[in-house]
Amino acid sequence: MPVVVFLALLAALGLLLVLAGRRDGDLPARLVSAVADRLPEHRREWGPAMVAELTQVRGRVRRWRFAAGALRVLLFPPPHRGRVVVVAAVGLAVAAAATVSAAREVPTLSVFAGTLGLLLCACATLAAAHWPRRRPGAPYVAVATLALAAAVATVATLVRVAVLHPSATADGTHVFSVLFAVVLAGYLAVALIPPRAGGRANALLLWALAAALAGGAVWIAIAATVPADPSGITGLMSPVSAAAVLLASVGAAATTGSMPAGARAGVLTVALTAPIHFAADIGGVLHLGHYTLTDPYDVAAFARGGYPDVASFLLSDQLGGEIVSGFVLYPVALLALALLGAAAGTRLDRFRIRRAA
Amino acid sequence: MTRERRPSAQTVAVLRALADQPERWRYGYDLCTELGMQAGSMYPILMRLADRGLLETSWETERVTGRPPRHLYRLTGPGLAHATATATPATASPPTEPASAKSARRARPRWADA
Repeated sequence: MPVVVFLALLAALGLLLVLAGRRDGDLPARLVSAVADRLPEHRREWGPAMVAELTQVRGRVRRWRFAAGALRVLLFPPPHRGRVVVVAAVGLAVAAAATVSAAREVPTLSVFAGTLGLLLCACATLAAAHWPRRRPGAPYVAVATLALAAAVATVATLVRVAVLHPSATADGTHVFSVLFAVVLAGYLAVALIPPRAGGRANALLLWALAAALAGGAVWIAIAATVPADPSGITGLMSPVSAAAVLLASVGAAATTGSMPAGARAGVLTVALTAPIHFAADIGGVLHLGHYTLTDPYDVAAFARGGYPDVASFLLSDQLGGEIVSGFVLYPVALLALALLGAAAGTRLDRFRIRRAA
Repeated sequence: MTRERRPSAQTVAVLRALADQPERWRYGYDLCTELGMQAGSMYPILMRLADRGLLETSWETERVTGRPPRHLYRLTGPGLAHATATATPATASPPTEPASAKSARRARPRWADA
């Protein structure tokens, strides 16, 4: 039940974000106009066509019916229905196989595997419906490769924890399993949705890529040189993430002169760095030779928790912290930082233009 | 060699409606109400017809305050020829009135291979 409530809240939040800034018309009109521009390049004109027709539909039921049909076409445009069915079928088969394998090999991750598999299948199906948009450029391919590598590293790290310390990933309520699958799939989707074509797109992709790679390099250097700490090698709220987001948003906004491009670069940097940070941090804790409890609060919690060993307790604590803080709470602060950076970047650009003039 | 697929009853209904007055530009929603079809069925058909060069699309040029310009549709020359060929049944005479999509689906005519 809590999971359902959480997902409903998340869906409502997503809907609000999608509809944010669209104050024209009723809910059906805003829904249709929100996704109207997501059609592939060669079908772009059909989105505004459906939005315009909706203005002629009278009556609430008729409007909702028309909007539902339009949304269906906008999300699954022809003529790729065959391809969509194939991708959905293959995706479902892979998700089912991953869930069965997880249930056998790492039972504590079966809910996570099933949820993540289903969400990725949904993402792949949507992507198949909108393919081909246009030939992806080298910056997009590099960003997509890094995003996929970071997601794979995250899942591999989690599986390693589940194999070595199964109790650390035990999740009786399944809240953390579902939450982690949702945020990981969401981060991947954010990183893989290509920005609109043009010079700005490449600039923002390159800034986000450079910032994420720089952040990743710092974390790897820390993991290799600094003695590991059971509470994580780099801390849950790493200043490296903040610096990377700021660098990307300021750089992209100053280069393009566009605040949305700067904000998008910041968001993309968050989506790329959070999984890298998770893998580096948990990987560092996993490499510890011995685990000891020094905090009295931890000692008391360990005695109550029923964990078989200290390592499982510490890793479980660290995983929960990384998921809630590293993937949910801290990114909210980072998004605010991205907006500030984007605003600062556009001012820098204006200042540069004024000086040049 | 490309295989020519038999058009669906709904596609034929749309072709007939457009062929009824081939010179007239039509709106998407008007076609929906005339044929009793949902937007989710109508627009994919219009998109496919446009892809095949059978449908001409245009935007309203006259500005109307309070709403965006609407998309307009009419058959091209090949589209009209296709509609005529499609609507010629092999054995039965064609219905005299434009059939709604539902009735077309219920009593699927034997269409000549288009």
